[in-house]
Amino acid sequence: MAHARPIATTRSATGIPTPRLAIWWIVASEVVIFGGLLGVYLMHRIGHPEWAEAASHTQTWLGAINTFVLLTSSFTAVLAHQAAEKGKGKEAAKLLGFTILGAMMFLMIKSYEWYGEIAAGYTITANTFWSFYYTAAGLHALHVIAGAIIMGFIAVDAYRGRELHRVEIIGIYWHFVDVVWIFLFPLLYIAK
Amino acid sequence: MSENNDGHDDGHHVNYRGIYIALLILFLISVAGPEIGERMGLPWLTLVTAFGIAIVKARLVINNFMHLAWEKRIMKWVLATSVILMFLMVAGVSPDVMNHEGNNWENLAAKEAVQRGLAEAAGYSNEEGEAAEEAEVVVAAGFSAATSYGQICATCHGAEGAGDGIAGAGLDPAPANFTDLAFWNDPIRTDNVRERVLTVIRDGGPAIGASALMAPWGALYTDDQLEEMVDFVLSFRPNP
Repeated sequence: MAHARPIATTRSATGIPTPRLAIWWIVASEVVIFGGLLGVYLMHRIGHPEWAEAASHTQTWLGAINTFVLLTSSFTAVLAHQAAEKGKGKEAAKLLGFTILGAMMFLMIKSYEWYGEIAAGYTITANTFWSFYYTAAGLHALHVIAGAIIMGFIAVDAYRGRELHRVEIIGIYWHFVDVVWIFLFPLLYIAK
Repeated sequence: MSENNDGHDDGHHVNYRGIYIALLILFLISVAGPEIGERMGLPWLTLVTAFGIAIVKARLVINNFMHLAWEKRIMKWVLATSVILMFLMVAGVSPDVMNHEGNNWENLAAKEAVQRGLAEAAGYSNEEGEAAEEAEVVVAAGFSAATSYGQICATCHGAEGAGDGIAGAGLDPAPANFTDLAFWNDPIRTDNVRERVLTVIRDGGPAIGASALMAPWGALYTDDQLEEMVDFVLSFRPNP
């Protein structure tokens, strides 16, 4: 880099590169956001046996396919990181592209699923189970959308061989989004 | 690589493909396990395969894909703090959220929500409304307006429609007395009385400017059943 970088991006008091430190901070705050939401859901779920009936209307197979899609996208994200570490920008960009494709597939399946549910009358105001369902899955979907958009910018840079360290950073975020879904899946789809 | 990578320990070599295959196998078990558990009536199998495996999968992803296993210790502490705070919050409020009564308190709204929810096989309704003690029996099969009235409406409005049901005793304003001519002559229901009664049963008192203590019951009935309920309520109306 010919020009000077801002101090915040080069200094590292913890020994962790600043961008990675920052993404871990984001993950730590997200743990409380999603953890709090899911914790409250779980408590209500245990206190309200009647939710079992509502929960039985969620479509387990669509949730399962989406779990597979996200796991696979996490795999391509970590392969992108591996490629970036070896300096292979084009390879990293291609793998990030696959990850974005995974994100889009996830969102399409999610839309199809919600369309069916809303058409059947299970809307966000139908009862508290459905409120939690749409809030938790919706907040997660927003994270998928945000991640996919940012990944698009990083992939373009990576393709030109620039800012390859960012591939790892977006990867950490993406794996977190995957981890959230790993817990959402049994909570919303499996536990009937 | 940029200069920002200086703190990174590149000494680890993870078999990403192996981790991915392990994740897929665990995923298949987490789908198949609960299916088998449900069919064989083994709830513990569902719990272990659904939630136990979720924890194992999350660990694999966090350690190997996010590389937390090789991260500086301070980051693990920061994340652990978040997780601990989350559990503290849950532990702190769980006695109130999960129980619906204690030594000196009772969460009537939650109890009614449970009863109403269990009663509605169709599954969706509003999480509001008042007395619903006997709502279990209202199902589409074998519907009878008289039975439904006896089990739901009579709790407040009385078996004979005189507004003297047990649950209605403490309500202010008191439940409507359908045998009282003055009730039917109230300006809010003189025009098109049938429509007004139907609206109140379906959408609750506030829908026509009456008391909010009259809950909406529309989710319990089909359109035809609603009409039958209206007929039944109108049968209490005295001749002028």
